[in-house]
Amino acid sequence: MTHSLHRRGSIESLKKDYVLLFTPAANINHEGSHDKLREIVDIIAEAGPTNIGSYEVRNIYDGSTIEDIRANLSKAKVPRVRCCFSDREKVLRVLKKVKERDFGISVTVSGLIDEVLAMAREIGLKPHSINLSLGVWGRTERLPSETIMEIVTMCGHGMLAASLVKEQVELVRRGKKTARQAAEELARPCTCGIVNVDRAEGILTRYLKEGEK
Amino acid sequence: MYINEDLCIACRSCVPYCPVGAIRVEEPDRVYIDQEHCTECGTCLRMARCPSDALVEPAEVYQEPRSVRKFFSDPMATHKETLLPGRGTEEVKTNDVTARVKRGQVGIAIEMGRPVLGTTMAEVEKVIKRLAALGIRLEKNNPLSYLVDDPETGTLKPWAKKERVISCIIEFSVPAERLRELLTAIRELAEEVDTVFSLDLITRFDEEGNIPVIPILEEMGIHYRPNAKINLGLGRPLREE
Repeated sequence: MTHSLHRRGSIESLKKDYVLLFTPAANINHEGSHDKLREIVDIIAEAGPTNIGSYEVRNIYDGSTIEDIRANLSKAKVPRVRCCFSDREKVLRVLKKVKERDFGISVTVSGLIDEVLAMAREIGLKPHSINLSLGVWGRTERLPSETIMEIVTMCGHGMLAASLVKEQVELVRRGKKTARQAAEELARPCTCGIVNVDRAEGILTRYLKEGEK
Repeated sequence: MYINEDLCIACRSCVPYCPVGAIRVEEPDRVYIDQEHCTECGTCLRMARCPSDALVEPAEVYQEPRSVRKFFSDPMATHKETLLPGRGTEEVKTNDVTARVKRGQVGIAIEMGRPVLGTTMAEVEKVIKRLAALGIRLEKNNPLSYLVDDPETGTLKPWAKKERVISCIIEFSVPAERLRELLTAIRELAEEVDTVFSLDLITRFDEEGNIPVIPILEEMGIHYRPNAKINLGLGRPLREE
């Protein structure tokens, strides 16, 4: 699955959006990976992620804490850690520590190609492979507006409904919620914890100011 | 998923959470789930905080044919055959360890129904039949492979075809010299399918750190997004080839 690959938006917006996935390979190196993943969660927690989630206990905007996520990793036969950051420096800090610890767990970073490759150079990593997004094909005329797409594609599994975005926009417009509160509600359905709440808040603010585009 | 209408108080709090718009309102006060459109993703049950516990997930969603909807729509459901949650494989995420896509190859994924629109498995079959005619065999660790009746023709098991899912990922690897041919076929398929698909292309970096497929994409006028998913090569044991 490529749930972090097809995020949309301007270069400026994507410059503040990085998804990190830590994934043991099922039936190759997943045995004994739980302790390594717990240590990786500690490194992420120290850096301060924008969001982090888990298939076992959901994400930090849906009632879980990072401690819950760490404690429940053992429930999964093949544990995985997914998180996102808005700050490039924090990503660098996490990657440097993970490199130093040499866990042997595969790491992918989804973000602007030039930025991610520059970070890899900066810390002396030689990237192995890349998954390119060649965009959306077929009946694209049926898709919602680009503004809505910028938000809903942050949950690549498609759990974040366009109707929920519209509802939350209305609540903010009517003064029932702040844009931040609405962004946090929009992050709940994405169990993996890769909806970037900072970015969603910015898009909602723009949406309210400029309308749908 | 269904709504126990004896318990439902028609507050409609579940309605906006459905990613496929399957929760219907019949004025003045009936709320129900359209079973044909529901993909069994479970989002309403997890998110809507139904005040009367009226949302019900019956055991049948884990049995054929309804299980197709569940396993291809709910990322929290792990496929029993592959040990993987979600709808595809580990693709580029563990390519440094699995070497699924080697040097000289490309990995292609056609993510049917993604984003937003979803797909029926009949639309998925339309694509895999065309690929089968080109001699393509699907990635065996992708859960879709378990629904293929005949790999030679690309037909799906008959009971699966009517099922509707949030997305279904058609994954395969081919020698890099076939990339133009495959992209041409995919371009044609985009005109034929009754939904959308997101298209992914996996490649190894070359020794100098370049992305070897880019000249082909440029030559064919195919745009690639400036953001991508990059495997940093930290997995062990590292599979170079």
